[in-house]
Amino acid sequence: MTRVWMPCGYYHQDYAKDQGWWQTPVIKGKMILLLLIVFVVFPLVLDEYWLGVAIMIGYTALGALGVQLLIGYAGLITLGHAAFIAVGAYTSTILILRFPWPQFIIDWGLAYPISIIVAAIVAGLWSVLFGLPSARVKGFYLILTTMAAHFITVDFILTQYVSRIGGRGQAFSLPPGTIKIGPWFIDSDVKVYLVMITLLTLMVMIMANLLRTRVGRAWVAIRDNDIAAETLGINIVWYKLLNFFVAGFIGGIAGAFWIANLAALSPEHFPWFWSLWLVGVILIGGAGIDGAIFGSIFMVVVMELLQIAAIPLSDYWPKLMINFAFLKEMAFGLAICAFLIYEPRGLSYRWWQAKNYFNLWPFSY
Amino acid sequence: MELFFMTLTTGIMVGGIYALVALGWVLIYKCSGVLNLAMGELTLFGAYVTIYFYLMGVPFIVCIFFTLLIGIVLGILVERIFLDKLIGEPILAIIMVTVGLSFFFKGLIGFIWGTDTRVFTPAIFSLKPFTIGFLKISTVYFWSFVLAIVLFLVFVAFFKYTRWGLSMQATADDETAALSLGVSARFVYAASWAIAFMAAGVGGALLGNINGVNISIGYLGLLVLPAVVLGGLNSVPGAIVGGLIIGVLQNFAGTYLDAYFPGGVKEIFPFAFMTVFLLFIPYGFWGWVKIERM
Repeated sequence: MTRVWMPCGYYHQDYAKDQGWWQTPVIKGKMILLLLIVFVVFPLVLDEYWLGVAIMIGYTALGALGVQLLIGYAGLITLGHAAFIAVGAYTSTILILRFPWPQFIIDWGLAYPISIIVAAIVAGLWSVLFGLPSARVKGFYLILTTMAAHFITVDFILTQYVSRIGGRGQAFSLPPGTIKIGPWFIDSDVKVYLVMITLLTLMVMIMANLLRTRVGRAWVAIRDNDIAAETLGINIVWYKLLNFFVAGFIGGIAGAFWIANLAALSPEHFPWFWSLWLVGVILIGGAGIDGAIFGSIFMVVVMELLQIAAIPLSDYWPKLMINFAFLKEMAFGLAICAFLIYEPRGLSYRWWQAKNYFNLWPFSY
Repeated sequence: MELFFMTLTTGIMVGGIYALVALGWVLIYKCSGVLNLAMGELTLFGAYVTIYFYLMGVPFIVCIFFTLLIGIVLGILVERIFLDKLIGEPILAIIMVTVGLSFFFKGLIGFIWGTDTRVFTPAIFSLKPFTIGFLKISTVYFWSFVLAIVLFLVFVAFFKYTRWGLSMQATADDETAALSLGVSARFVYAASWAIAFMAAGVGGALLGNINGVNISIGYLGLLVLPAVVLGGLNSVPGAIVGGLIIGVLQNFAGTYLDAYFPGGVKEIFPFAFMTVFLLFIPYGFWGWVKIERM
């Protein structure tokens, strides 16, 4: 668990301490500072544009957390995670717009929070349904079934049936003021940002806690060698399905959050591209929960910078801006290839190296 | 009954093209163990290169020849630049490099040629169907099928009878033994990628003939994945059988299931079928069954 070398003179005297989140006062201080910055300073300081970027980072990170859980902790390679995000988004929207809520729930603004939880559970169950083949296949074959899950869910069920509920084109519009948590309408970027950062913190906490329990250790055992894990008495089918459920759950939360930032929901928000993008994010980010977050920050910020760089250049070559979506895909593809070839351990490894360097500085031998 | 046979023949004709593309996939997997998810973009590339030359007024056969040439060059480049460095890495890394490549190619193609559908004008094959007995066969399907099968046979013959092909077979069978006999593994990897690019490129050109060339050809190229799973990942006969079965199933789904599930059932059905199929026979018809031990 310890991913940082302890400073001189610190020893753990019991197991609980060894598994603790914030092991020294310095780390505790740093983390509280970080929480203060993301919860208080960012909403006050950032302007509209960078808040948008931060929301995008949070959404990507919420999706990538689920992918990290599947790929990074249980070795279940998935290329269809956007499908579960889409299921979450659609469940939440349908609940908000169509469900006959009692009046007091609407008055108290509970409809959206309840719909987030229901959406997460539905997405988790949907994920288990497509995780069932993992009982029998793994590796490349599992990739194919998750891919199929994406095509079946998004390109067929959602596009052809669900998005036609109540007439085409209007049923899933979410005008500002539809989404309400308690007394607050989620209608400005700051509020969306606060919802995002709350959900993200919660999910990170849930995931980090799960990973240091029996469940998390079982997942890691399955990832490292599933046959050995089975001989150790771990019910691998059950734990794999549980992993799919939790990953789908987090995906559902991501989807249900994302509708707060949308004016209308449509299946085009969840292309297959997005599933692959999430896997790319964790490959670039590297191992662990921090890997998922670093990867999201890196990818979103690099894409924004690319756009900023492309705007002045497009005066000379207008095609650059018109076809920017394609440029983005090219950059993403190259980034994945470059990271896999030159830094397969990702950004979180670099971060770990840097931290240790300064921990031991100036006597790093 | 006529509808049944027409669906069947159309399916077989399209399946022939899938079989050609699937052959490229299987060759890469056999020779270098790379599970390639960029096949869709390789077909896309072939379709666009061919139509680019064709619209410049080059005869179709010469266009195909150019596609083959550019396929060789690109295949060798891709192998040398990206996949050569990843030998021995975990499966996820290799698969994701091919995903990265697919993004790169899709972006590149979109950047150069945009998103409009292009059509082969003047049409190469007439759209008029001809009849054999009671069967009506559309000319474009027929000639695409013939061309695909001829190329398939050429590649198989290359694989079976030439010295280079034999060295590829040897590497696929036992890499260490092949290395000790003086077969250059790097040459074999490059050759397998070159062949895959050529096969997929021509497949894309033929698919583009049928419906016009746009980004969705890449999706058709992805259909080789169900095809190779059906036939077994490392089986050349499996590729042709899998391709034909997927083509036929797809067209039957489009003809018969569309009434019950309106919408895109034709596109989805091969993948749904593959998911169920994997639950029962994960190694396909002729794939090697891997028995895992601790």
